[in-house]
Formats: sequence, structure tokens, C-alpha cells
Amino acid sequence: MNFNEKVVLVTGGSRGIGRSICFEAAKLGATVVINYNSKQEQAEEVCTYIQAQGGTASIYQADVSDQEQVQKMMAFIIERYGKIDVLINNAGISNDRLIFQMEPEDWQKVMNVNFGGVFNCSKAAIESMMLERSGVIVNVSSAMSVGGWVGQSNYACSKAAINAFTRTAAVELARFNIRVCAVLPGFSETEMVEGLLKEEKRYLSQIPQKRFGKPEEIAKTVLFLASDDASHITGATLKVDGGASCTLGIGRPL
Amino acid sequence: MMRNEIFEVVQQSLVDAIGVELEEVVAESTLLGDLGAESLDLLDVLFRIERKLGFKVTMNDITLMITGGIPDEQFGTDEGYISDLGLEKLKENLPQIDVESLRGKFEAERVLTLFTVDNLVSLVEMRQAELPTVSS
Repeated sequence: MNFNEKVVLVTGGSRGIGRSICFEAAKLGATVVINYNSKQEQAEEVCTYIQAQGGTASIYQADVSDQEQVQKMMAFIIERYGKIDVLINNAGISNDRLIFQMEPEDWQKVMNVNFGGVFNCSKAAIESMMLERSGVIVNVSSAMSVGGWVGQSNYACSKAAINAFTRTAAVELARFNIRVCAVLPGFSETEMVEGLLKEEKRYLSQIPQKRFGKPEEIAKTVLFLASDDASHITGATLKVDGGASCTLGIGRPL
Repeated sequence: MMRNEIFEVVQQSLVDAIGVELEEVVAESTLLGDLGAESLDLLDVLFRIERKLGFKVTMNDITLMITGGIPDEQFGTDEGYISDLGLEKLKENLPQIDVESLRGKFEAERVLTLFTVDNLVSLVEMRQAELPTVSS
């Protein structure tokens, strides 16, 4: 599996799972464009690290919920590298609230970044991919999209929307030789869930593998789906959650 | 590129995108009717043409050609049929159409079904003519 000569855009690539995806992609030979919104310093670190390892990378600031900024980012990529082969829609935020206390703007913001980002970036990337009749989009969804969790109605909906979009886009774009898949991470060791990591005992008992996922484990799955090794896989929504979403309740006792 | 060469590009693109036989794609075949193309097929055809010729022909170009650029509310009557002005534009751009047979009874929203292979060839030819010429 290699990504030699491939141009890969990773949204939200400055930290967490996105950062790992950038590193893994670069390790496999990809030219990596690291998109970030506010964490410029961290994005530069990722970029510098990749370059120090002999890889090719650049950073680009854009708020994925803003279609105009996304279009400019895509124009930058096409101008600099001539094409985009792989789009990894990873940028995402959470803003947990009980529904009782949630205001419309609390779900709209999450929806605009998580699902809106997937829509905007996919729409901006597919014209070039359709013309080349080649491309892969991998969306980083969440195991929350297929279950319920207190406080995550907004986040879970935005991720479920990503799954539905993944299936629909896979159907529409298959004839253009563009594949669209999604990865559904469970609990992964990133800043987004740092509060939860502090109380790991309460969570680990609910995960069959009894551990959280490592960002690089998610990244490797993302890159497998993005690679030519997955050439017959499209529309797939693949859980990478240590079995967390397989259990009913906590799956025991006997 | 000459018209017959453009026809060949359009013909092959239709064969590849829709899966019809080469012989089925003749100048007077309608894309949506005779060839059974759906909206996604049409988009596929346009991208194949762009890839082969190196310039864009869009769905918007097709719509503009059909309506002559007049707004939807002027192209159709309140009852939803193609208006007299609409028929006039149609006659200019899709010359094969017998507008009298459509007057007062053809729904404006079905107008794309009248679009033929020959019309698409003409559109590609027009778009080609609009390209800036490279001076040597």
C-alpha cells in the first residue's frame, strides 16, 4: 500500500486523529495538505515533522464550514499540485449539552462544521476528481452516529448525516471512479475527549477491548480505505471502536 | 476541430456514459428519450467531453441554449406550458423542433427531453468557437 504521487488533503489535520492521518499518509509517500482552522502552530509542527522525515507537506488555513474558504483552499491545491487524489474529511467539533439545555445555535454550529465541512470539501473536490475519473473521499464519522449518548444529540446527528451522505455520494460518484467511505471511531485518545479519558474506569468497562483507540489505529483504517487496496469498497461505514458499538447495554453478565 | 470530429467525440462519450450501442447514437436521437439518459448520465457525458476536448460544457450551457437565456417565468406560461416567447427561442436554438406541434400543450419542465445529439454537437461547437484563439 502506498500513496506515492498522490495528493491527500486532511481537514483538521493539526491535531488528534487528523494529525495521525497526516503522519501515516506522509509515511506512505503521500503529498499531504494539512488543513487547520485556528491551530496554526500545531499545523506547522505537523508540516515540519513530515518535511524533516523527507516528506512533502504544506498547511492551509480554512474554516471548513465556510464554502468560499473551502473553494479557495481547493484552488490552492490544484494550483500547487495540479490535482487532488484523496480527501479526508476529518475536521470536527463537539459541544455537548443536554437537549433540555441546548439552543439552536448549539446544534447548528456542530452541524455546520461536522456535516457542512464534509459537504463543502466534497463538493469542492469532486469536480477535479470527476474530470480525472479518479478519487477517494474518506469521512471521519463516529461510533456515536449509530448509538445514543447523553449530551451528544447534536454531535451524533451531525455524524449520522455524514454516514448518509457517504452512502449517497458513493452511489452518485461510483461511475466517475470515485469512492466514498466513512470510518466510525469509538473513544480515541485525543483532546476532544480528554475529560472522558480522566475517568477512564467508567468507560473502559463498556468497551469489549477494554481500552481506548489510538489515533494511529484510526488513521491506518482511514488510509486503508483511501488506498488502492480498498478498490472495491465504497459506501462503507466502518466502525473502529474496539467493539464498543457491538454490545447491548454493557453486554453482560451471564 | 471540425463538426464531424466533434460528433464522434460526443457519440463515443454517450456510448461510454450510457452504455448504448454506437449505431443508436445518431444526430436526431434525443438524449433523455431515445437514448434513455438520466441526469447523472448527462453529467457523465459532459465530463467525458471536457476530458477529451479540454474545455467545459456544462448543464448550465445546455439550459441556456434551450431557453435562450430568458428566465423560467418567461419561458413557461402560468399553466406550465412553454410560452410563445419560449417557443421562439426554442426555434432559434433547436431548429429541428416543430414548435407548432408543441404550442399550448408542451410542459416547460419537459423541454430537456427535446434535446438531441445534434443539439449537443452544436453546443460543443459554439463553446469551441468562444475559446480564445492562441496566436502563434
